[in-house]
Amino acid sequence: MTAGPAFSAAATIEVTDVSKWFGQKVAVSDLSCSFGPGLTGLLGPNGAGKTTLLRMLCGLLRPSDGSVRVLGVDPRRDPSVYRRLALVPEEDAVYGILTARQFVRFAADLTGVARDRVAEAIEAVDLASAADRPIAGFSKGMRQRAKVAAALVTRPEVLILDEPLNGTDPVQRAHLIAVFRRLAAEGRTVIVSSHVLSEVERMADRVLAVVDGRLAAAGDVPSIRRAMADIPYRVRIDVGGTRAVAAALLAEDVVGSVAVDGGRIHVETTDLVRLGRVVPRIAETAGARLTGFEPEDESLESVFRYLVHRR
Amino acid sequence: MTAFLAVARVTLRQLLGGKRLLAFGLLALLPSVVMFLTTRTASDRAVVERFHDAPLVIIFLIVLPVVSLILGASSLGDERRDGTLSFLILRPVPRWLIAAAKLGAAWVATTVIVGPAAALASGVVGLRAGDWSLMGPAVLAASLSALAYISVFLLLGYFTSRAVLLGLVYVFIWENGITFAAASLANVSLFRIGLSAYAGLVPESQSQLGEALGSVTPGAGGAAAKAIVIAVVAVAAAASLLRRRDLL
Repeated sequence: MTAGPAFSAAATIEVTDVSKWFGQKVAVSDLSCSFGPGLTGLLGPNGAGKTTLLRMLCGLLRPSDGSVRVLGVDPRRDPSVYRRLALVPEEDAVYGILTARQFVRFAADLTGVARDRVAEAIEAVDLASAADRPIAGFSKGMRQRAKVAAALVTRPEVLILDEPLNGTDPVQRAHLIAVFRRLAAEGRTVIVSSHVLSEVERMADRVLAVVDGRLAAAGDVPSIRRAMADIPYRVRIDVGGTRAVAAALLAEDVVGSVAVDGGRIHVETTDLVRLGRVVPRIAETAGARLTGFEPEDESLESVFRYLVHRR
Repeated sequence: MTAFLAVARVTLRQLLGGKRLLAFGLLALLPSVVMFLTTRTASDRAVVERFHDAPLVIIFLIVLPVVSLILGASSLGDERRDGTLSFLILRPVPRWLIAAAKLGAAWVATTVIVGPAAALASGVVGLRAGDWSLMGPAVLAASLSALAYISVFLLLGYFTSRAVLLGLVYVFIWENGITFAAASLANVSLFRIGLSAYAGLVPESQSQLGEALGSVTPGAGGAAAKAIVIAVVAVAAAASLLRRRDLL
């Protein structure tokens, strides 16, 4: 099974029927996909199994079932692959006692690459001005950039980044995204995980969406967007005269379902904007005072739940 | 070699940084302070005998195991728990080399603390009795026991976050208790590795140290071999753990 949007034509990473469970908890379930040159976004809510999958790709975790091959080898059996593969882990853990320059040099020494690349890697993440300060005093965003520099110094063919934009400010984020896109344009395999759809949308050519340890959707960004276009939103409405308003709402074609909970109404709709126009009108007609109108679940979790149920 | 030195250098900085070094320094001074205070009016012979009594016991049964425990358990275990171990694992470096660098650095760090402790305490013998010959054997013996302790505690630290607690139980129940009560178990006691080396290098100490040594035969060569074997086994075991175990 190597055709379809979950698979890359020139795969550098192949994931075949991979599952991972920790005791009774299934973190990744029977997942098959592949990654090739270019930037792939791994999208999913927190706890979806993204980090577990990425850690299996790197060989930090052994799949309970199935196989992972990176650049033709099993990373758990052949550490030489780490000359060509680098991970930027999600954890905030770094060597606080080291300066950013020492940290990147440490990565260079461990990988056996020339130290003259250190300055270049630090420059690439725009950290030169803070390079000689201990990492312990860095902000989260600066730590992220230091970790990215430590990965870049090895010039990996495959670069895996687990939530690399966490904690970065908008300027840093834009800069890092440009770096990732440049690496992808050079023909490297770049995988970036995120739980923020807009982030992935800005940088990835291709997206794999993971929910509950399963592949929920795959393809280019427009196709993922299309898949999500008819997702129902849940909206909470705080209004007086609840029952009259709820009854009136039921008659509107923009409303999918209505539930009354005390003084609140919960509505499902696929057109949030239209609903926003309809509700005040109905409240006014019913003589009810509208005090709240709030989407309950605009989060990615609802999007992913929808994608999973749709499979 | 570059990778080995890089890991060892960073580990040394981790282990010897901050307030920890100050606390260890104070602990390391304890044997020499005891030695200094208890030999002010002693004869030359009594000074040497005194050194083989309290100060040597403090070095081998308190300073050495406590320092080895904290540094050994931290060297690999802290990296695992802090999440920095992936920076080492995801490199084209053999796992045994990582384990050996960690062990080597922890051993050097321990020796940097315990070595001067032994040197200072034996230095009091030199100052009071003019006998400086105990200094070399004391430092070497402490270093050998440190290697054995570090090897065991490195593995313990990798396995559990309660390594210090378990290690203290091991040191004070097993090393300081059971192996004294059952002389036949003395051969599997880590502090006696160093003590037997010392007794082998300083034969006149054997009558005083005989009871502590139990069934262990004095001799520096045997002690060194034992410590090296323990270290090699620990490196092999740690390398296997780094290869096989999931890194969450």
